[in-house]
Amino acid sequence: MRMLSVALSLVLLAAGAARAEPNSCDVPDNLVETFARLPRVGLSVKRDHKLEIVVLSAAPKLSGEASSLKSYPYYLESELRERLKGTDVHVFAQSEPRKTILEIARDLPRLLSERQPVLVIWQTGTVEAMRGIDPDGYGRALDSSVAALQNGGADVVLINQQFSPRTDFMFDGGPYTENMRWVSQTRDIPLFNRYEVMKYWGETGAFDLTALKNDGTYEKVHRCIGRLIADLVMRAASLSGNVER
Amino acid sequence: MLPAPPAGRDLRLDFFRGLSLWFIFLDHVPSNIVAWFTVRNYGFCDASEVFVFISGYTAAFVYGHVMKERGFVIGAARILKRAWQIYVAFVFLLVFYFAEIAYVSSHFSNPLYTEEFGIFDFFQKPDVVLIEALILRFLPANVDVLPLYIALMTFFPPVLWLMLRQPNLTLLFSVVFYFVAKTLDWNLMLYPYDHSWFFNPFAWQLLFVIGAWCGLGGARRVAPILNSPPVIALCVLYLVFAAPLQLSWLFPSVSGRMPGWLMILPLDKTGLSGWRLFHFLALAALVIYYVPFDAKFLRSNWARPLILCGEHSLEIFCLGVFLSFSAHFVLTEISSLIAMQVAVSLAGIALMVTVAALMTWYKDIERRGGKPPPSATQEGYRGVTAS
Repeated sequence: MRMLSVALSLVLLAAGAARAEPNSCDVPDNLVETFARLPRVGLSVKRDHKLEIVVLSAAPKLSGEASSLKSYPYYLESELRERLKGTDVHVFAQSEPRKTILEIARDLPRLLSERQPVLVIWQTGTVEAMRGIDPDGYGRALDSSVAALQNGGADVVLINQQFSPRTDFMFDGGPYTENMRWVSQTRDIPLFNRYEVMKYWGETGAFDLTALKNDGTYEKVHRCIGRLIADLVMRAASLSGNVER
Repeated sequence: MLPAPPAGRDLRLDFFRGLSLWFIFLDHVPSNIVAWFTVRNYGFCDASEVFVFISGYTAAFVYGHVMKERGFVIGAARILKRAWQIYVAFVFLLVFYFAEIAYVSSHFSNPLYTEEFGIFDFFQKPDVVLIEALILRFLPANVDVLPLYIALMTFFPPVLWLMLRQPNLTLLFSVVFYFVAKTLDWNLMLYPYDHSWFFNPFAWQLLFVIGAWCGLGGARRVAPILNSPPVIALCVLYLVFAAPLQLSWLFPSVSGRMPGWLMILPLDKTGLSGWRLFHFLALAALVIYYVPFDAKFLRSNWARPLILCGEHSLEIFCLGVFLSFSAHFVLTEISSLIAMQVAVSLAGIALMVTVAALMTWYKDIERRGGKPPPSATQEGYRGVTAS
């Protein structure tokens, strides 16, 4: 019983401490640290002064009023351009709406030859979680796809599903994130844990992620995600930019 | 004052089933900090294994006696009646699930979640989805252990018939079936994408049958082996190996430094991976060794809430799923601060205990009100019910 009350008071203590400034991108280091390296990115920036990035996702394009909203690939590009003066930075957002990993894997060779990216930032796992595809099979497909990208000359960063409090109970992305972590460790590539990062923002009050309608949070959240991914790329590729934060 | 447990009942079953029901509830509240306390963070297996094993154990124990004394037909009828009850409970939960999805889908247009709107695609054709759900071909997340339970119970009568005659042979069949199903990738398919059941019944039947085998005296027969020092030491070693590995998985900064040969996680839950199965068996062996049948704490006051929940496992499971939906609702509508997560978790458990206590109290009243106490041939044989 004593154990339980000690544990509970610890939790409550942590709860009291965790409070963030509104609209702050800050997250604890352990949520964004990585041990993996992006050697091709480092080489391309230092030797060729260019950086060709493809952001690959299965998210559908925004429609209607929302179609003019800027997403994280845009912010990633402007962040990197600002930090890597003298480097020609391109970020191309390749959207394959509602496609699962098996369908996307088929298109990877074409993507590699058309765009010749040195970095593929791959946002994956959401469609698979919604459809309940076998997580183990997902892990194997992701593993071979990442290998194909690496053999095609690209570094890879994985991004998992986002934290979506209103649909959180409808499907469970946990097993897919776990498989992404397994791939990220065996293939030595960074995983940007978007779910944990956004959950932290939601829990600390940095952003209200529960709004039913468009309340302007979209661009704020995407700007922060773009910035955090830029941080991750700079660190993993051992680049020191013109602008230090 | 919580009602006291009946004498002569193996309270360990109720106690640990109650605990697994609490864990299932806590794990089902999305992104809940209190889920840190649950078993899945400290080893390979989680509450699902405990639930399936104990369900197999009690099903064999209760319906085994019915089948032995009143014949196959009566025994089978009882089992199928139980399967039907679980099915009705499943449909009941489905209604809540659909209601919450319908509510969210009709009010939700935040562009931040455009990708997640894909989940509403299922409901473009409600007629098809409803029918597919009723025939267990559309299974929402979080209730999928119930369809497994339904499938296992539906096919249990012939298994139990054989097990009463040839327990070891039945167990052997089950093991062979497990390996064949895993090798040939057997699983049941689901609407609409031809994906498979989250709990593969062809794999998970093994744990249910192991439970049944133990419930019919298998546990007693292997007790001398299980209680031998080398086996106990082996079990302890395995748990000691699993705990830091699973815990490290929660801290990327630790698991990132792990050597490649230790990268066995994540383990296959759908196909009940061997690592998980043996983790559960080791855990069970240690529990049996260190917690004797008549352990004092089982009759203490603080164990009562757990035992009460374990006594009404189907009802409390359903209540737990319903409460996890409600807790999720509170966390999104009111506040998702960590203090709130703790509050809804505690409130949920308090409700589960209260409802379980009321059910036990009502059952007592009913029993005293003229009906004779259940005889040895009834479901309440030696106080153990299959619920």
